Amino acid sequence: MSDLDRAIAQLRACRPIPEAEVRQLCHKARELLIEEGNVVTVNAPVTICGDIHGQFHDLMELFRVGGDVPDTNYLFMGDFVDRGFYSLESFLLLLCLKVRYPDRMTLIRGNHESRQITTVYGFYDECLRKYGSANVWRYCCDVFDYLALGAIVLGASNTLPSSSGQPAASPPADEVEIEVHNAHGHVISRFLRPKETKGDGTGGARTASPNGGLSNGVSSDSSSGSGSGSASSSAPANTGPPGSGASGSSGGSVGNPAGAVLCVHGGLSPLIDMVDKIRLLDRKQEVPHEGAMCDLLWSDPDEIDGWGLSPRGAGFLFGADIVKVFNHRNDLSLIARAHQLVMEGFKEMFDASIVTVWSAPNYCYRCGNVAALLELSEDESGLGVLARSNGEVNRSDGGVGPRGVLMENDLMGARSGPARRYRVFQAAPQDSRGMPAKKPVADYFL
Amino acid sequence: MALSFQEAEGCALIWKFIDGVQQTYQSVMGAPDDGLSDDLAIDMPASIQLPPADIRTLHELEMTIRNLSQSPAGRDALAKTIMNEDYISKLIPLVDIAEDLESLQDLHRLCNIMKTILLLNDTAIIEHAVSDECVYGVVGALEYDPDFPSHKANHRQWLKNQGRYKEVVRIQDDQVRRKIHQTYRLQYLKDVVLARILDDPTFSVLNSLIFFNQVDIVQHLHNTPGFLKDLFAIFHDPNEQPLRKKEAVLFIQQCCAIAKNLQPPARQALYTHFLSQGLLPVINFGLRHLDVSVRVGATDILVSMIDHDPSLVRLTIYEQIQRHSLPLTDTLIDLLLVEVDLGIKSQISDALKVLLDPTPPGAPPQEAREFMVGQARLRAQQGIEPQQDLFLTHFYEHSARRLFKPLLDLEKRTEMKFSPLEDGIFSYLNDILCFYIRQHQHRSKFFVLTNNLAQRFVQLLACKEKHLQLVAIRFFRQLVVLQDEFYYKHMADQKVLGPILDVLLRTMPRDNLLCSACLELFMLINKENVKELIKHMVENYREKIMALSYMDTFNEILNRYDQTQGFTASVDPYFESEDELGRRPMHGNAVGLRGEQLAIDQAQEEYLNTSDDDEDENIATANRGMGVLNHSLATNGGSAASKPLVEYNSDDDEELDEEASNGLVEADTVMTPADTASRLSNGDSESDSAKENKAPSTPTTITSAAAAAAAAAAAAATVTPPERLAEKRRREEDEDDDALNKLTQHKRRNSSGSVGSVGSNKSTSSSNANTGSSPRKLKLAGYTADETRARGGGRSSRTASPNGTNNTALGQGQRHGHPKKIAISIAPSVKTAATTGGKGSQLGGQTQGQTTQAKAQTQAQTQADGGGGGGGGGGGEQ
Repeated sequence: MSDLDRAIAQLRACRPIPEAEVRQLCHKARELLIEEGNVVTVNAPVTICGDIHGQFHDLMELFRVGGDVPDTNYLFMGDFVDRGFYSLESFLLLLCLKVRYPDRMTLIRGNHESRQITTVYGFYDECLRKYGSANVWRYCCDVFDYLALGAIVLGASNTLPSSSGQPAASPPADEVEIEVHNAHGHVISRFLRPKETKGDGTGGARTASPNGGLSNGVSSDSSSGSGSGSASSSAPANTGPPGSGASGSSGGSVGNPAGAVLCVHGGLSPLIDMVDKIRLLDRKQEVPHEGAMCDLLWSDPDEIDGWGLSPRGAGFLFGADIVKVFNHRNDLSLIARAHQLVMEGFKEMFDASIVTVWSAPNYCYRCGNVAALLELSEDESGLGVLARSNGEVNRSDGGVGPRGVLMENDLMGARSGPARRYRVFQAAPQDSRGMPAKKPVADYFL
Repeated sequence: MALSFQEAEGCALIWKFIDGVQQTYQSVMGAPDDGLSDDLAIDMPASIQLPPADIRTLHELEMTIRNLSQSPAGRDALAKTIMNEDYISKLIPLVDIAEDLESLQDLHRLCNIMKTILLLNDTAIIEHAVSDECVYGVVGALEYDPDFPSHKANHRQWLKNQGRYKEVVRIQDDQVRRKIHQTYRLQYLKDVVLARILDDPTFSVLNSLIFFNQVDIVQHLHNTPGFLKDLFAIFHDPNEQPLRKKEAVLFIQQCCAIAKNLQPPARQALYTHFLSQGLLPVINFGLRHLDVSVRVGATDILVSMIDHDPSLVRLTIYEQIQRHSLPLTDTLIDLLLVEVDLGIKSQISDALKVLLDPTPPGAPPQEAREFMVGQARLRAQQGIEPQQDLFLTHFYEHSARRLFKPLLDLEKRTEMKFSPLEDGIFSYLNDILCFYIRQHQHRSKFFVLTNNLAQRFVQLLACKEKHLQLVAIRFFRQLVVLQDEFYYKHMADQKVLGPILDVLLRTMPRDNLLCSACLELFMLINKENVKELIKHMVENYREKIMALSYMDTFNEILNRYDQTQGFTASVDPYFESEDELGRRPMHGNAVGLRGEQLAIDQAQEEYLNTSDDDEDENIATANRGMGVLNHSLATNGGSAASKPLVEYNSDDDEELDEEASNGLVEADTVMTPADTASRLSNGDSESDSAKENKAPSTPTTITSAAAAAAAAAAAAATVTPPERLAEKRRREEDEDDDALNKLTQHKRRNSSGSVGSVGSNKSTSSSNANTGSSPRKLKLAGYTADETRARGGGRSSRTASPNGTNNTALGQGQRHGHPKKIAISIAPSVKTAATTGGKGSQLGGQTQGQTTQAKAQTQAQTQADGGGGGGGGGGGEQ
C-alpha cells in the first residue's frame, strides 16, 4: 500500500506516475469497479462534484474547500478528463484515491470518459505527449469502460448540520433548505423551506432563487430569506422558470421528502423509467451513440414539456414533467447531474427536483465561472434512513398514507429534497499552479 | 456601407470616421488628398500611426494596440501596419533592453503587446513571428506573462535546443529545412506558449499553417530524387548504427502521420513509393525490434498504411503466400501473442481485423471500420475477390489456429489461473473472433464448430477473474446477436446457457457489472424471442429460471415457453411483429452512423465521397440515416409503422438526386443557415445569434418575433427546445460540438412534430433552417408514428443532410486557409425556431404546386417576404 500512497503523493504534486504504475493502478481499479453495480449505492454524508475536465489545480482547490479525501466522502459525476491540461494527473489521482479509499470515493462515468471523445478533446494527446505512447490512454480507457453509470445517495438529511461559519443569529437549522457557502466556509445566502400554507405560485419562484440570489447576492452576506422567515419574500425578485407554471400539476408533487438522490452525469433517458432499468445495462463498452447508456451520459434538462432533441446530437432534452414523473416513480427527492457549464457553479431546476453541479472553475481557463460542490449531510435522527428507499415505492412515506394520492399528500409536506449545502469556489490562484500549458513534443524529424 | 449604431464599437468607428474627416478638413494644407477619396471609409484606419517602439512609450503602445484590436477594422489596420513597418522586429530589441533593466513592468507590457499582435489572427504576422529572425524575440517577450507575475517561462531555452531536431537523412534544401523548424515552432506556439489564451480563429490559423507546411515538406521529400532511396538504404546497410535505424523508423512514422492529411492521390503515390523502396521489410524489422518505441513506430506505419488502403498490404501478403514465405499476418499474430505493450497489441488486433475484412476493393477505405460493421456484412454477400478468398482460405487453414492458440489451449487446462500477461490476451482474441464471426460467415462457423470454441469460453466462465467471465459472456452475446439458427443450435447443443445462469445466480445478490451483463444477455434472448434458446433453457434449467422468475425477463421466458409448449414452429402473429421491431436494430446496425460524425476527419469525408458515385454526400448520409430512423423508432418502443419508412427511403433518394443535380443545395446557403434563420426570424444580424450561443442552458432571448413565434409554436403543437449548432473549437459551454451534427441527421426522424415541416420540404435548402432547427417533441405517450409522420421524418432526413455537407465544406475551408469562424447557429432561441418552423410550413403550403427546381435563393426570398404573418400557417397545413 505504501506504493499507492507514494503514487498519491506524487500525483498530488502534479507529477505523473510511471507507465508501469499506471498499469497496475488500472488493474486494481478494474477489479474494484467490476464489483460495482451500474448504479452505486452511496450513503450520506457525501459531497457531490461535477465536471473536473483536467483542471488539476482546481481539483486541489476543490479538495481544500470540500475537505480531504478520507475525511470527506466524495462522489464525482464524471468528465474528469479533456480540455484542461492535466487530465492525466487529475484522473489518475482520483483513481488512486478510489483504489486507496474505495468506500470514500465514488466515480461515475461522464460522456468524456470515452475513447472517441478523448481523442478529439485532448486526453489522448496529453497521454501521448506525457508518455510518448498512447498506452496510458488505453489503460485509462479500459478503466472508463468499467465506471459505474450512476449513483444513489441514501440517508440524506433534511436538516443541515450547523457549520462553523454560521452566524449566531441564524434561523433554526431544520428550516433551512439550501445554504450557499463561499470557499472559506462563510454563508453567502440561505434559503428556507417554504411554509406549508403556501400554494403553488411560490414553488417555482422559490426554487429559482438560489441562483438568482447568488448572482446578485454574492456581496450581501446574509440570506435574503432569513429576515422574514418566509420564502415568499424572496419570490418577487426572481421569476420562476417559465416552464414550471405551465406544466400542469404545478410543481407540487416533485421531490419526495424522504426519497433518495440519483446522481448521473447527463440526465434521464426515455428508455429508462425506473432506476432498476439502469442496472440491466451491460455497461462495459465504449459509450454508445444511442440508447439508454448514451442518454444517461448525454442528456440535459430543459424548459420543455416531455422529451426533446438534444443539440448535442446525443442524448435528449427532458422537461420538468419527465423529471417529476421519474422522481415520483422512483421515490427520488432529487437528481444531481453535471454535464453543463453553469456560471454560478450550480443550478437547481424544476422546483428543485434536479440540480446541475459544475466543479471546474474558470472552465477552459477562460470562462470565468465559479464552481460548486453539493454537500448532503447524514440524517442523524436515525429515522430518515429507514424511511428512504432505494427506488422502491410504497415504503418511504413511513406508513403515512397510500402512495397513490400523491397530489394531496405531497403538496402539504415539504416539497423539496434533502437539505443542500453548496460550497462555491473559484479557480485556484494563478500563481499556485504554474502556467497551464501542454507538454511540447520533444523531438521532431519533420 | 452599412451604418450600425447597435454596438459601441460601431458607434466609435463612425465617430472616429467623422472626426477623421473633420481633422482632414481642418488640416487641409498638410494632409494628403486621398484622405477624401471614396475608399476612405473602408480602410480609414489604415492610416493609423503606432507610437514608436521605445521602452519609454510602451505603456502608450500597449493602450493603442489594445484599443485598435477591439474592432475588426482596427485589427485589419493594425495588422497591415505591423507588417508594413515590420513592427515585430522593432519590438524585439526591447525585450533584451527590458530584461537588462530588469523592468518587469515593461516585460509584462511587451508580453501583452505580443499576445495581442499574435491574436490578431493574421497569417502573415504569425509566419513572420516564427521566422528565424523573430522567433526568439517573440517567445522571449511571451515568457513574462502578467497573468503569472512570479513565473518566467523558458520558451527560448526550449526552442534553442537544436538537438531536438533529428536529421536522419540530410535535407539539402535550406528552405525546406527552415520550414521544418518553423513548423515545429508553430506547434510549440500552439501547444505551449499560446495554449491558454488561444481563440478559435487563431487556433485554426495555426493549424492550417502547420498543415500546409507539413504537406509541403512531405511533398518535397517525396519528389526529391534519391532522398527516399537514401533513407531506406539505412536499413540495408548491415554496418549502420542501430540508433540511426531506429530514428529512420520514427522518421517514416512521422511521414505517415503527416501523409494522413494529404490528398488521396498524393498519399497513394507516397505509399507506393515507400513500398517500392521496401517499406514492408522495414515494418518487419521494426516489429521485431527490442526497443518498444520502434515497435510502436512500426505498428503505426503499418496501421496508417492499412488505413489508407488495406488491399495494398493484402496484395503483398498474397505475394508472400505465393512465395511460401511467412506472411505478414503470421508475424502480426506472433507479435500479438507475445507483445507486452498494450498499445501495440490493440493496434495489431485492429490490423488483423482489417486485413481479413473481406470487403471488395473499391469499397470505402477502412478508416471508419469500427462503424461499418453492419454494412460490411451486407457487402460481404456481394462477393469476395478471388484473391482475397484465397487469402482467407489460407488464413483459416494455417493461421487461425495459431492466432487463437491461447483459447484452444484452454482445453488442456484444468485450472483456470492465468498470469497477467496471459489473461490480457483473451479479450483481444474475443474481439477478433467476434469480428471474424460477423464477417466470414461459413469459414468462421466451421472454425468455431470444429474447435468447439463455445466450450472454451464456457471454461472461461469458470475462472475467478470477473473480466474473463465477462469476455465469455460477450462472446455468447455476439452469437445471439447474429440471429443465426446455426449458432442458436450450437449454443443449445453445447449447453452454454446453464453456466451463464450459474454465473448470474452466483453474482445476483451483488449487483455488479457481471450480473448486469448476464441480465442483458437474457433480456436480449427474451426480446428477440429466440425460441430455440428459450426452449432449451426452460427445458434444461427450469429450476434456475424459476429461482430468477421474480424478474420480469425470466418470468416472460417461462411464459413464452409455456404458451408455445416448446413448439418453436408455432407462429404467434403478435410475437412475430414484436420480433420484427426488436430485430430491426440489429439488421440496420446503424449504431455507427452517429459515431461517424463524432470525429470529423478527412477519412470520413472520403468515405462519404467514395460511397456514392457522384459528388453528393447528401444521399449517402440520408440513406444511411434511414437505418437510424428505423432503429430509433423501434427502440423507443412505440408501435411505429415501419413499412412506409422504407419506402420513403428510396423516394427520398430520387428527390435528392434531382435536387443535387440541379445544384439546388448551394454551398452558400448551406454554409450559413444561422444567417438565414436569424434573417427569417427578425432583422437581427447574425453576430447577435452567435453571441447568444453563450448561455445554452438559459435561453431567454426574446426576439421581436416572439409573439408570432408563440403562435406558431402553438399552431404546430410543438414545443421546441432551443437548439444551436455552432462550429467552434472550444466553446464556453460544455457542448460537444463534434456530436452536434449527428443530431440533424438522425434523431429528428422520430419526431412527432415534424408534421409542421412536411410542407416545407418542398422548399429548398434555405428551409433547412426550419426543419433542421425545430427539434420535435418526442413524447412517448403520443408516439404513434402514422404515415404522415413517418413521411415527415423521412423527408427531414434530407433536409438534415446539408449539414453533413456543411462539415466538409467547413473542413475544407479551414484547410485552405480561410479560417472563417462559421457559426452554424441555427436558431438562437426556442421562439425563433418555432417561428421559422411555422413560416416554413406555411410557405410549403403555398408553394406546394411549384416544382422542386425553384432556386433556393428565390425561395429563401419568398420565405422572408411571406414570413410576416406566418403564425397560423403551420397548423392549418395538414
